[in-house]
Amino acid sequence: MKRYLILEDGTVFPGEGFGSSVITTGQLVISNNRTGIEQSVTDPDAEGQIIAFTIPGVGSSGINRDFYESINYQCKGVVIGSASSESVDGSISFEDWITTLKIPGIKNVDIRALSKYIYEHGEVKASIMDTHDEHAIDQIKALVLPTDLVKQVSTKQSYPNPNIGLKMVIVDLGLKYSILRQLSYRDCNSVIVNYNSTPEEIASLHPEGIIFSNGPGDPKDLPKTIENIKVLQKQFPIMGIGLGSLLVAMANDCQIIKLPNPHHESSLAVKEVASGKIDFVNHNHSYTIDQKSIGSSDFIVTNICVADGSIEGIRHEFLPIISVLFEPEAAPGPTDGYYVFDEFIDLINSTKNQDWSI
Amino acid sequence: MAKEIIDGQTMTRALTRITYEIIERNKGIDDLVLVGIKTRGVFVAHRIESRLKQLENISIPVAELDITPYRDDVAVNEKDAQDYKAEPLDFDISNKHVILTDDVLYTGRTIRAAMDALMSSGRPKKISLAVLVDRGHRELPIRADFVGKNIPTSQKEKIRVFMKEIDGEDKVEIE
Repeated sequence: MKRYLILEDGTVFPGEGFGSSVITTGQLVISNNRTGIEQSVTDPDAEGQIIAFTIPGVGSSGINRDFYESINYQCKGVVIGSASSESVDGSISFEDWITTLKIPGIKNVDIRALSKYIYEHGEVKASIMDTHDEHAIDQIKALVLPTDLVKQVSTKQSYPNPNIGLKMVIVDLGLKYSILRQLSYRDCNSVIVNYNSTPEEIASLHPEGIIFSNGPGDPKDLPKTIENIKVLQKQFPIMGIGLGSLLVAMANDCQIIKLPNPHHESSLAVKEVASGKIDFVNHNHSYTIDQKSIGSSDFIVTNICVADGSIEGIRHEFLPIISVLFEPEAAPGPTDGYYVFDEFIDLINSTKNQDWSI
Repeated sequence: MAKEIIDGQTMTRALTRITYEIIERNKGIDDLVLVGIKTRGVFVAHRIESRLKQLENISIPVAELDITPYRDDVAVNEKDAQDYKAEPLDFDISNKHVILTDDVLYTGRTIRAAMDALMSSGRPKKISLAVLVDRGHRELPIRADFVGKNIPTSQKEKIRVFMKEIDGEDKVEIE
């Protein structure tokens, strides 16, 4: 069935529909992931997003249920050039899988032209529709994307991820399960809470460390969580990941800017400033911290992106706060970033018997 | 049989973490000087210095300390024979916060000797100790402020630190 990917400025990319046949609208992002497609699609960060995968033969590496990143998939649609009809491990094909998930998809799209267009024009709203007349284009122009994405994906009720080690509270802004996997691997005894949990509620769980997770959307839409961080960072070691790290930065008067070329790539090089070490890590963020605002803050820059020099990691000069904009839990992508979790645990242990609170 | 217990990557990470901790606990790096105990302690000091420079854009002084004449575990006649004089540090450490660095912390005697040497060349405001490996078995009341890795050992075991600058690679072995 002929379908159309329509961008908000009226540009039309024709293709062929698969998966669910509903009309869908969302923020269009370009993903250069080669493997771990199932992780990208089930990632809560994909809430409200239409993901365009640039690789040919999407799904050739197989679809593995073990690698799901959430139970409720939020991805609004997928755009591909071509899908592989078979996979190396003989599991379900990409198209069949997307159909089972009831996600709308469009294939045979000129994906190179599309990604080039997005890199030149920035991220846009887009829609997958059956027609591309004036009316359809007007519709997408008039549409306002929801700003409460985190509310949609954050857990309504607290739940535990029991273990025997350090007590962690994870503030769920769109938590990927791989963060829990990494914490479980390090024996952390975690409780996952709603993004608007008050500092009192969190303190009553007596955490030894608090993690603000990754998540979808614009950090400016979460003023309440930022206020909570301001209170909590005086009492507990804090780690921010992705969206969480932007909130941590904003709670300390840093400015957030939109990246000219958003990072949605499973293997982008990041340099550790102190040692010059290069790590290849998964990225999924459209915002970064303004370099200018970091100078007047109490943060030091620990990691930068090699490709465009943007800030990828910060650390407080005297409070136990570390924050990374990339996704140390990988999933998908290389596992170079796992050490950030060890870093946080070392930080908790080294500050345990010290009076650092202010 | 020697067994590798710390690889290059872990060592890099440990040194980076020590650097962060130095910044955190001092709330900045004013008045800081690094003094490395010969031989590998000097390399540890230089690596911490280069990290601090990358992070804070300030170069802090690094000195080398040869503690041979101050050791109490070297026979007296041997000392006499060498007629050793400690070389003075190349800068003033008075009223500075000295971070002493070494590769392995074991009995604590080396550190005591290093502190004697430091005291004889000035009056530092404070002395802290950063070591790559703490293997336990102290014979003196000395404790490190910054530890790369705690490695519980038996006294029979040997810990050997390899560093790129002198040994061609970064690793720690136990045998």
